[in-house]
Amino acid sequence: MNCSFTEKVSSLIDGELSASEAREVERHLLGCDECRQLRADFLNLRTHIGGFETSLQPEVQNRALKKILGTERRIPARGLGWSFSPSAVAFAALVIAAAIIGLLFYQSFNKSDRDSQQLASVQQKQGQPTPAPTGSAEQSKQQPQATPEPGREQQPAPGKSNEETPRRQPPKKIVREPKPGEQFAVVPVPAPIRPADSQTMTAMHFEKSETLLLAFRNVRLNEPGTAKEVSYERKRAQQLVLQNMMLRREADAAGDVQLSSLLESLEPILIDIANLPDSPDENAVRTIRQRVERKNIVPLLRVNSAVLARALD
Amino acid sequence: MASEDEEFTMLFQDFYPSLCRFLECLLGGRAPLAQDLAQESFLQLHRTAWGTMPVGEARFWLYRVARNLAINEFRRSHTRYKLFDRMVEAMRPRARNPEQEYETQERKTLVLEMLQTLPEDQRTALLLREQEQLSYREIGQVLNVSESKVKVDIFRARAALRERWNKVSGLSRCAGLGT
Repeated sequence: MNCSFTEKVSSLIDGELSASEAREVERHLLGCDECRQLRADFLNLRTHIGGFETSLQPEVQNRALKKILGTERRIPARGLGWSFSPSAVAFAALVIAAAIIGLLFYQSFNKSDRDSQQLASVQQKQGQPTPAPTGSAEQSKQQPQATPEPGREQQPAPGKSNEETPRRQPPKKIVREPKPGEQFAVVPVPAPIRPADSQTMTAMHFEKSETLLLAFRNVRLNEPGTAKEVSYERKRAQQLVLQNMMLRREADAAGDVQLSSLLESLEPILIDIANLPDSPDENAVRTIRQRVERKNIVPLLRVNSAVLARALD
Repeated sequence: MASEDEEFTMLFQDFYPSLCRFLECLLGGRAPLAQDLAQESFLQLHRTAWGTMPVGEARFWLYRVARNLAINEFRRSHTRYKLFDRMVEAMRPRARNPEQEYETQERKTLVLEMLQTLPEDQRTALLLREQEQLSYREIGQVLNVSESKVKVDIFRARAALRERWNKVSGLSRCAGLGT
């Protein structure tokens, strides 16, 4: 095989040459005996190799096909081609089921917890206005639940076993932290201030203020002992000013504009009365009276205290 | 799903005999092993790749997998199946004309033996060309080689076989065997 066309003869019989190359090789073959023999030998080899018959029995082929079609496929024919083994699917299903059951338990647990808190708060609300020291055993058990206090949690009441103390303490968020200097914070069993208590205090404050203003209106100015009579109203006003300021702040925080404005108009009057001198001038007392009359504050206090009392009922 | 199985069955009927022949030539005989490997190739196609590629591509995929399986078999013991293959051959039903059967079998054995003298890549390329009529480009896809390498491999394989064939033919003519 000394001819340079031998490799092209191989490509020629495979049809891998371009038309021009094929024509060139065909022309060469006309004049080259070696290449003509080469092509004949290559074609002879093709006959032997291509004509090779395999000893395949039809039953073997059918058996193979049945076996292949009988096997389980790993991936779907179309789509993304995700495949999961049955054990993996079963495990995933178990995990999902366990998560759902856990979630349901958690929700029911929280619900019962909330119910117990609500029940406790309702019981506390009912029991607070008239704290009965001789209550039933059930009430005495539920009382600590409703009034959790940091100091009392760590030191349980003497005479009560640990089994009687509740396992789960209600969340502390419902109990307002006592402010420093707040009066009820030093009471042995302080009642947390809630809207109902605030309304009660406001109603009582209005009643007291109304009584004070009525008393102040009836002070006799022309008599010699005027200062003595005013001194009582002055002390009373000094007490009520602080309470008025506190209630006004709470009404502001709660967004109760009507209550807040009433307390705001009451406050300077209380301050004026509280700041009266020991021997007040007749004109000063009269000025305050006129302001009370002008603002029409006594009827307003009466109406609002009545409304609040009705709402509490 | 049924249509997919029908499609697969058609592919199997068309190409399983060809794949068996390709593997038998690649392995130098050993028809039972070739059939097993062909079945394994189709099994892998059915289980993992069927439906994810066009049918035309599946054919190339099959030859690629079959060749890899055959190479794995080369690396194992070559003598393991010899006894079993000879037993199968001895038990195989014979044709009515023993003389014709003998000649066919002799020629077949000669082709297989000559193919075994070729390097594996040249043998595979030549078989894919002569038996499966794949183009150089398609053979390059199956073997993951360039088209020019396929062309050179096929030419070298042919040239080597031609030389041996001519020698064997001369000896056969001397011994009274015609080709």
